[in-house]
Amino acid sequence: MASHSAAAPAVGRPRVVGDPWQRALVLSYILLIFFFIYPLAQLFISSVRAADGGWTLTHFREFFALSYYRSALYHSLYVGVMVTVLATALGVPLAAAVARWGVPGKALLRALIVLPLVSPPFIGAYSWILLLGRSGWITQLVQHAGLPWAGTIYGSKGIILALTLNLYPFVFLVVSASITSIDPSLEDAAANLGATPWRTFRTVTAPLLMPAILGGALLVFLTALADFGSAVVIGETYLVLPTLIYSLFINEMGGEPAMAATASVVLLVCTTAVLLIERWYISRRSYVMSGLRRRGERRASPRARAAATAFTYGVVGVSLIPAAVVMLTSFFPSSGPVMHPGFSVGNYLMVFSTVPRAMLNSLFLSGASTLLCVVLGVVIGYLLVRRPGRATGGLDALLMVPYAIPGTVLAVALIRAFGVPPLLLTGTVAILITSYVVRRLPYAVRGVVAVLHNIEPATEEASLSLGASPWRTFGRVTLPLMAPGIISGAVMTWVQVISEISSTILLYYGPWATISIVIYQQVLSNNYGTAAAASSLLLLAVFVPLLAFNVWQGEKAAELV
Amino acid sequence: MRKRFGQQQALAGVDLEIRPGEFFTLVGPSGCGKTTLLRCVAGFCRADAGEIVCDGERLDPLPPHQRNLGMVFQNYALFPHLSVRDNVAYGLRARKAPSPVVRERVERALAQVHLLHRADSFPGTLSGGEQQRVATARALAIEPRLLLMDEPLSNLDAKLRVEMREEIRRVQRALGITTLYVTHDQEEALALSDRIAVMNAGHLEQIGDPLHIYRCPATPFVAGFIGHTNFLAGEVESVAGGQAQVRLKSTPESLPGDMGRRQAAAAEAVAAKAPALRQAAPYVGGTVSVPAGGLAPGQAVTIAVRPERLSLAAPGAPNAMPGEVEEVVFLGAVTRLRVRTCAGPLTVELHAQADEGLRPGAPVALAVEGEAATVFAADDG
Repeated sequence: MASHSAAAPAVGRPRVVGDPWQRALVLSYILLIFFFIYPLAQLFISSVRAADGGWTLTHFREFFALSYYRSALYHSLYVGVMVTVLATALGVPLAAAVARWGVPGKALLRALIVLPLVSPPFIGAYSWILLLGRSGWITQLVQHAGLPWAGTIYGSKGIILALTLNLYPFVFLVVSASITSIDPSLEDAAANLGATPWRTFRTVTAPLLMPAILGGALLVFLTALADFGSAVVIGETYLVLPTLIYSLFINEMGGEPAMAATASVVLLVCTTAVLLIERWYISRRSYVMSGLRRRGERRASPRARAAATAFTYGVVGVSLIPAAVVMLTSFFPSSGPVMHPGFSVGNYLMVFSTVPRAMLNSLFLSGASTLLCVVLGVVIGYLLVRRPGRATGGLDALLMVPYAIPGTVLAVALIRAFGVPPLLLTGTVAILITSYVVRRLPYAVRGVVAVLHNIEPATEEASLSLGASPWRTFGRVTLPLMAPGIISGAVMTWVQVISEISSTILLYYGPWATISIVIYQQVLSNNYGTAAAASSLLLLAVFVPLLAFNVWQGEKAAELV
Repeated sequence: MRKRFGQQQALAGVDLEIRPGEFFTLVGPSGCGKTTLLRCVAGFCRADAGEIVCDGERLDPLPPHQRNLGMVFQNYALFPHLSVRDNVAYGLRARKAPSPVVRERVERALAQVHLLHRADSFPGTLSGGEQQRVATARALAIEPRLLLMDEPLSNLDAKLRVEMREEIRRVQRALGITTLYVTHDQEEALALSDRIAVMNAGHLEQIGDPLHIYRCPATPFVAGFIGHTNFLAGEVESVAGGQAQVRLKSTPESLPGDMGRRQAAAAEAVAAKAPALRQAAPYVGGTVSVPAGGLAPGQAVTIAVRPERLSLAAPGAPNAMPGEVEEVVFLGAVTRLRVRTCAGPLTVELHAQADEGLRPGAPVALAVEGEAATVFAADDG
């Protein structure tokens, strides 16, 4: 046997023998560049392009010179800050109450609290109009009682109310996870070292929770900045950036695409800045918890416990009002904006007779986008975790960008890129699916990455060493182990896509109107009954898969114990 | 079976041959390349050069799933979504074995590790020792031509580790399966193996059976890594009649590498605390008589002596080194002493009866059993 000691020079890390994933990597790059980077580049170009084809900053100068444009930016920031502050003020105490003070019915609470988050914000806004609008029930009640009704719910107040109740669960979820991960012995140690409860909270608990609180708050801020749905329903003349972009694009006077692109870039800069701040903060301030013990509940006095319970159920109850109102009123006989208490399925018949395709459209588009997201998410997630390197690192960085992109902005970018031959995709289903997949893909990938990190590479190696081929290993070991992560990612994608409105409203064309578009149109034309019926159908399409997933997961969890 | 590697940082030219039916262990400190070597054999990484041959067939061009090698992983790598039975059957099903064969072989493999009663449990419900057995049964079920074990006992507690060690040895003997075992635990290597390869920094230090490696370490590294060893610096004074007289130096600076620096620092601390020892230096310069093999007068050497080969002697006896007891550790069968000397602190192991009345601070003299010492040229390290 000859010795081969004088052979090829050493190259980097040891590679896996016979890797079939290289082609997947190249394909992922091509898809992302073509469907995401290219449109984004087109967007930037059109914001600095003059009518004569030269380069110019006129659009930006105009944007900041005219108060019409500038005020939309201020409005967006104002709404964003207010929603963030309020949602944090609700979410943090709520998380503390549920985790620490023995509020009864935890499992139910955790399930209920997610519902507002997955309900489309425009349904929330619309529901608050039903209650507090010009002819809202509460408004009428107050007027009947002869009390002065100060102001209206329209404008910034309505947007802030709808979004706060929609988004506080973000803060709740992130902070809850963080509280349960704090080793109780840390607080015991502080107490043992002589710290008072308040000092312990100030010097140990609060600093450990800060990354989670800020992380949740920034997430809320980002989502509030990007919101189109509630602003368009309840904002009326109060324009924020996404609604400004929309009105610039869809204008009786033919629209101003260049200004729409400019406003889009301004919004994108804002959201990207927020995202970068969040990443920077999290990378600086994350602590490794060594403890494995679960956070124990503190013994609270019956009075404190009662107060915590009342607060918790109060907040969750109020945030569930929109869904309840919509479902209830969908059965009221109605004509236009006037609804009477009673029972009728007339509204549903109206939905099915006037816009029969909308529900099917939504189901199809969400199904197709979810499927694509899952497949791409699994492939890219697998590449990121199992084939780390410079090439996959680039892919990871590329995937960070869609996190920050509001639907309105992506829609404008896609129209810029694919609205002209030879790449004419506008007015097709493809462009809708593209916009959905691009925006949800980072979440799908992140979900897969999270599960994969918990699967030891040795598990796959064991399969290989037992004689299973790489594909068999992937199918029999990796995929089944990833299943919970994949399915939860799929459910979230489904939920988000089916209630999407911000990019759909710019990208859809006649026959492909989705259920959310129908709701928007019905609200706009004051057909409140039909809108309520369509909203209820949409909520059903959101809640049912979520519930099914929770039930399935619950059984799984029981099985493994 | 032959394996050759070259040019790779983790493995700098390793060449070894495992005999059929043998229990062969790679042992060395973490990062010495033993796991890399094992993973190359398994096919999870590619050596930059060299070849792996099994029964006359080149293994290195094959992907891992075509090598038919059983592997037991450090964390067992059991499939959490499959029952014990399905875990063990996995490799057979991948080979499309007919189901009666699968059933029969799974039962046999589980019976070998005494786990038939847990066949329908899931890995998450098993104890560490049981998981280890499932991992072994799974690797054995495919009847591999070579069994690879990557630190399979390192996740178990000390008592279980000794139990499982015997279990592994029993199964290996019963099946006569050629086994390549990786561990950083020298005691485990000594207890299990037919032959041991000691690795350090990507190369082989020594290959041999456990007794040979312990008694006749080929390098200072092996002497220091396998078992406890005291290193003494000295110079060959004369060679006569198969015996060399080595004069011990009073300071350990001439010891190779780290050992020297550590002992020098310790000796300095000793001398600072007990000036009397420094004055006793002429005694330290006593001589030790060792087997002459290849030594020449004037040569600087390092003598490696096991703790049990140092004994207490009457003060002033020939070859005895004066010292002061620093620490007495009673371990049951033996008592371990740490003795300050001007050659640095030395470890001495005495049988329980010999330690009567020793307390820290007691003056003692140490005799070196020259016959049992290993002598290295000082530049070996």
